[in-house]
Amino acid sequence: MGTPAHKEYAEFQEKVKRTVYVDNLSPQITEAVLKTALEQFGNVRDVQFIPNYTEANEIPQCALVEMETAKLAKAIIMEMTDYPFMLGGMPRPVRARAAEVEMFSDRPIKPGRKIQIRWMDPKDPDFEVAKKLKHLTKKHVAEASLLLKHQLEEEKKLAYSQAENLEVNYKKYEMIDNLIIDGTFRRLSSKYNLELQDS
Amino acid sequence: MPAMSQPEDATDLENYEFKWGKKRGLGGKRKEVRFYESFTFDGVDYSLYDCVYLYKEGEPEPYIGKLMKIWEQPDHKKKIKVLWFFRPIEILNYIGDNMTVHDKEIFLASGEGVGLANVNPLEVIAGKCNVVCTSEDPRNPQPSNEELEMADYIFHRTFDVGNYKISDKMDDKVGGIEVRFIFNKKEVQGSSNIPKHVAEQIKENGRVVVGDEASKSFSKQNSVPIENVNAVDTPTCSVAKGDAQLELPWANEEPLSGEKAAPGVVTEAKESAPSGVRQEKVLKRFKANYEKDGKGSDIPSQVEDKERPISAKGVGELDRPSKKAKLDTDTKLEEQQAYLSSLLATGKERSGNISQKLAVDSEDDGVKVSLKADSASEDKSKSKLVKESVVQDKGHSKKVKPDGKTTKISNGVLPKAASAHPPEKDIKTDARLLEVTRRPNADRSKWFKALPWEERMKTAHEQETLVLLQNLDPAYTSAEIEDIIWHGFRENCTAKVVQHTSASSPHSGQAFVIFKTREAAEMAIRKLDEGCLMLPNGRPLIGSRVNPVLQRKRSAFVGHLFIDKVRLQMPREDMKRAISTSHCSQPNTIEYEMAMEWRLLQTRVDIWWKELYKQQVVELRKVENNLKFK
Repeated sequence: MGTPAHKEYAEFQEKVKRTVYVDNLSPQITEAVLKTALEQFGNVRDVQFIPNYTEANEIPQCALVEMETAKLAKAIIMEMTDYPFMLGGMPRPVRARAAEVEMFSDRPIKPGRKIQIRWMDPKDPDFEVAKKLKHLTKKHVAEASLLLKHQLEEEKKLAYSQAENLEVNYKKYEMIDNLIIDGTFRRLSSKYNLELQDS
Repeated sequence: MPAMSQPEDATDLENYEFKWGKKRGLGGKRKEVRFYESFTFDGVDYSLYDCVYLYKEGEPEPYIGKLMKIWEQPDHKKKIKVLWFFRPIEILNYIGDNMTVHDKEIFLASGEGVGLANVNPLEVIAGKCNVVCTSEDPRNPQPSNEELEMADYIFHRTFDVGNYKISDKMDDKVGGIEVRFIFNKKEVQGSSNIPKHVAEQIKENGRVVVGDEASKSFSKQNSVPIENVNAVDTPTCSVAKGDAQLELPWANEEPLSGEKAAPGVVTEAKESAPSGVRQEKVLKRFKANYEKDGKGSDIPSQVEDKERPISAKGVGELDRPSKKAKLDTDTKLEEQQAYLSSLLATGKERSGNISQKLAVDSEDDGVKVSLKADSASEDKSKSKLVKESVVQDKGHSKKVKPDGKTTKISNGVLPKAASAHPPEKDIKTDARLLEVTRRPNADRSKWFKALPWEERMKTAHEQETLVLLQNLDPAYTSAEIEDIIWHGFRENCTAKVVQHTSASSPHSGQAFVIFKTREAAEMAIRKLDEGCLMLPNGRPLIGSRVNPVLQRKRSAFVGHLFIDKVRLQMPREDMKRAISTSHCSQPNTIEYEMAMEWRLLQTRVDIWWKELYKQQVVELRKVENNLKFK
């Protein structure tokens, strides 16, 4: 079917296939940074951040990166899944996934879809059910929000414990460094008659 | 391939309920074989080309097949011929490494060879299987998201049993079946794939506000004013369309959006007459309202509301006059005066001239002028104009300030206009205007670059015209939501879907909607709260006021670690040359280990979300099942 609407939608679907969804991005990452980072893999056509207007909590940025070809997009997703990809800091890796249609704000209407709506009569037996559904939907939104909060807390926890770990590790290395520098290391090795390969 | 083996004869199944359905014809050498199109087995209706589970003892999972033929042999044995589906695990060796297989995906057998199809006793059928074809082939009626959600399995690729190749191309015949039976069935056939309520809804068309009809109705309303103001105000002028429309559109609108709104709309929805008739009724009601207005009951009070003249006009489907009004408000008060006089002078001028004159008067914006000229020149361009004016409205929504003078004018003119309202005329005019509401939004952007959404949202929030809609089908686009609002509330708006992220609910979408006026927004929220606007698939729409998060303080991002003394981080300037700050982490480093911890968390979080949404769907379905009319 060659109608313009079909064609437009088909083109859009191609675009979706070319696009990589990236999240876990630091707020410091700008369009340019993301673009350069992904240009290591191939030509980037477009970068669009997904704005977050609904969630009051601070959530990491996410973006849609349109690549030159669908194959390239796939390759990037594979690469970023196989190796943790660091962007603008470490060790929290950026995550890449295939983009989905719903992630785009400027998508064309899917051809052939008919939407039918109706106002319900309050006497309709379904009215109460609908009320329940509305309530349930609101509850679900609240649940999602709660889970997000939990997720953010978990992330904070992990970041905190890693920071502690890192500091300990760093101190350890610093101590070893100092020992080498001030000669304690060499003196000890000669005292105990041990071969030192590195120094 | 395990599927090749033929499921064993089912044992004694005599006691199951069985009934033949529609006959298809006789076959065989001596016409002793009866072919059927459908049958009922164990309380389930099966028909040709349905997908079924076939059970074989000793196998953990049933086979899946498509019914190609159903017949009864002379010895009364019931047989079916089944075209097989393969589970991915059965053809694992032939699935390429970089082929992604959806977790519900199965493969249809094709080509020629062993394993394509088998004849089985009918009794081995274990149940119906909902297989949805997701092939992007244009011949395939595309499944909706709901259907996908409900599908037991999906398929879009075939597995050739002859040369062991997987392909996503469908030939005209697959396994001897015409391809149209392979694809999803069309709605009219009332197949099992399609939720019943859709069909029901179609039947109940009268009750349901169907997009096109409603848009027709809009154009009718819109064209009402053309004649009648002419008659009253400008007896000598025959073309004063631009002016004529000025008052009525919003007057028209009032009965719906005003206090009477709720009952009005409800009754309209209840009317089961075809749209044309309904439309007439609506018009009659309008007329009645006007008559009341003449007595000074309803509308004058609304006119006192300062914002009304401008915004209401905008609401009244944004025809040229609304733009004029906007232009005037954009310019100075003196201009408004000029507008007044020009309005009065309509009788002597042709409408086109007026709009042009006005446009020039305003000298506000080059684009606008050209627009005006456009509008005057051609009637057909009207539809375009409507769209453009939408944009313009948005663009200037900030500037639009209530103005006493315009109020007075419309106040004065309106009753006159209303009293001379001939309802028959509009029906004539509507045929010409049919196309108006088809809104290929693409046209807009050619003319105007709209303000960034964020800014518009901010303004809208300040003016309290911003509403968050919830429980939308995630597949809806912004334009479709605008249409829904129009059909549901007779209000124009600008909508923008909330873009999904990896943590978004896959079964519920949200959208921001900016209404033209605060009243409209409030009305919409109230009506959605007290009443119930049902979208397809049993989704009652939810509307609420929101506080959009526009300016967030960029607090620290957790997960990026720095050692104070060393500063692992690159200097800021280097951030721009991102290559130095982006890399794939190599195994055997602390960084890698920590990254793996993050990965673990990310995966865990993913599972949480998935579980949550799964649970929510279960809950939703449970309640939805109580709906009689979905």
